[in-house]
Amino acid sequence: MLAATYGIFALGLQLNIGTTGITNFGQAGFMAIGAYAMAILVVREGWSWWWAMPVAIVCAMAAAVLVGLPSLRLRADYFAITTLAFAEIVRYAANNWRSLTNGNQGLLGYNADWFKLSFRFGNWLNDHGIHVTSFLFPLMLVSWALLLVLWLLVAALVRTPWGRVLRAIREDEDAARALGKNTLAYKLQSLALSAALAAIAGFVLAMNLTLLVPDQFDPVFTIFGVVIVILGGLGSYVGVLVASFLLMTLLEGTRYIGLPLASDKIAALRFIIVGLVLILLMAFRPQGLFGKRKEMLLGE
Amino acid sequence: MSDPPILEVEDVAKRFGGVRAVDGASFSVARGSITALIGPNGAGKSSLFNVVTGFERPDGGAVRYDGRSIYRLPPYAIARRGMVRTFQLTKTLSVMTVLDNMLLAAPRHPGERLGGSLVFAAAARRREREAREHALSLLATFALAEMANEYAGTLSGGQRKLLELARALMLEPRLVLLDEPLAGVNPTLGRRLLEHIEQLRADDGTTFLFVEHDMEVVMNHSDRVIVMAAGRVIADGEPQAVRRDEAVIEAYLGAHA
Repeated sequence: MLAATYGIFALGLQLNIGTTGITNFGQAGFMAIGAYAMAILVVREGWSWWWAMPVAIVCAMAAAVLVGLPSLRLRADYFAITTLAFAEIVRYAANNWRSLTNGNQGLLGYNADWFKLSFRFGNWLNDHGIHVTSFLFPLMLVSWALLLVLWLLVAALVRTPWGRVLRAIREDEDAARALGKNTLAYKLQSLALSAALAAIAGFVLAMNLTLLVPDQFDPVFTIFGVVIVILGGLGSYVGVLVASFLLMTLLEGTRYIGLPLASDKIAALRFIIVGLVLILLMAFRPQGLFGKRKEMLLGE
Repeated sequence: MSDPPILEVEDVAKRFGGVRAVDGASFSVARGSITALIGPNGAGKSSLFNVVTGFERPDGGAVRYDGRSIYRLPPYAIARRGMVRTFQLTKTLSVMTVLDNMLLAAPRHPGERLGGSLVFAAAARRREREAREHALSLLATFALAEMANEYAGTLSGGQRKLLELARALMLEPRLVLLDEPLAGVNPTLGRRLLEHIEQLRADDGTTFLFVEHDMEVVMNHSDRVIVMAAGRVIADGEPQAVRRDEAVIEAYLGAHA
């Protein structure tokens, strides 16, 4: 389930970093805006969950345009810092704006509609001979289905002439401008689409957690997303699927290492192991699992 | 000629900090001409190119293309009007195929809008097919057809210059600005490139303005020469007249004389 959440989340990062060449490090911020907008509309405004979600997606996209409009003209490294700062601003705001977000006490009760649906779905599965053991099973099915549908959509989009312009921008923005492309508009579209994906990942995360607290949207979430993108290979969408599954298996699987060590040491060891695996992979396969080595070499 | 000029540049200025890279340059380019822009290093030729095509914001003056002001328009808007440039250091997209480089340049492509290939599926497919035909015929003219499906990064320096010109032509331009099109190109390919330029002028009436250092090429292949020095235009006329111009000789030799 976490793998599917990360998969949807990293899909947007792949579109930005891998395809368009814009280093969006604020993905966790867009996810927070999506999840919180949904929860606030349901809990504080009494909206139906079904209406709150699309509106929350629009909120995240609008935030992307607002952040992107002034900062996408900056060089890649400045843009990375700006988006990272933006995500932190969102997290701090969520921590302190208690009347809206309930701060670090967390926001509860936005998922009643989902539970009803999930319960009915679980019963339906039971009636059809699929024995559901966990109440989270329906969410897992839905999140994987979502990932698959969104993956198909994004992978198809980047193969259109629209995606061709994005790839041109990644390689040389001036060349694209000289050929009559409004590159700022394309970069904004890429960022807004990615923010929408982050918002959807935020919904899945929120349904999984049942309690929304700001610290779930730590920048580390974005960093794991970037790791997935690089692990899978820049520009490769199959890579996103495989790498998000692989990284989460590694992270969660290492929880169960049977060593005679204190639990805090095991926790530290987990990250050391994951880090080592990643370093080895980058040393022997710098283009990522599914990246094209030739493209990496030609692109200097 | 009775036709108004295709490009008119009036008193254009561009400063970088305290340096006046372009310092009140004025000239015009006649429709259907092949005009050379020359001048010693640092004269402001490339800066002028950047200002005219919108890549740098000018600090003053006027630029008119086809009778309409394009002053301070963004580069993409200028390119769409039919004034297309190439770069001194070629900007072929290495990790895209030669054909994709060409298709990228196709103007008025509905599939280039977000979701355009889904919403306007039929129109996008038709445009893509047209663009592909046009691209392949241009690549054939430039002897790049066999390379169509190779990464552009595998081309030689000279072939990249050819590809950049071919790609610019995908936009169906009426004025092409070439920044040192022959730099680093072997003589055989260079000759072919010049033939293409003259052929295009003859066939479609395309106008060319190019920066070049090779005086033999300038004298033999252009019908007008504009000379810049220290950010200003110091001479403007037929090649033979410019060659004898005192100010030009002064500018080129001045530092040593």
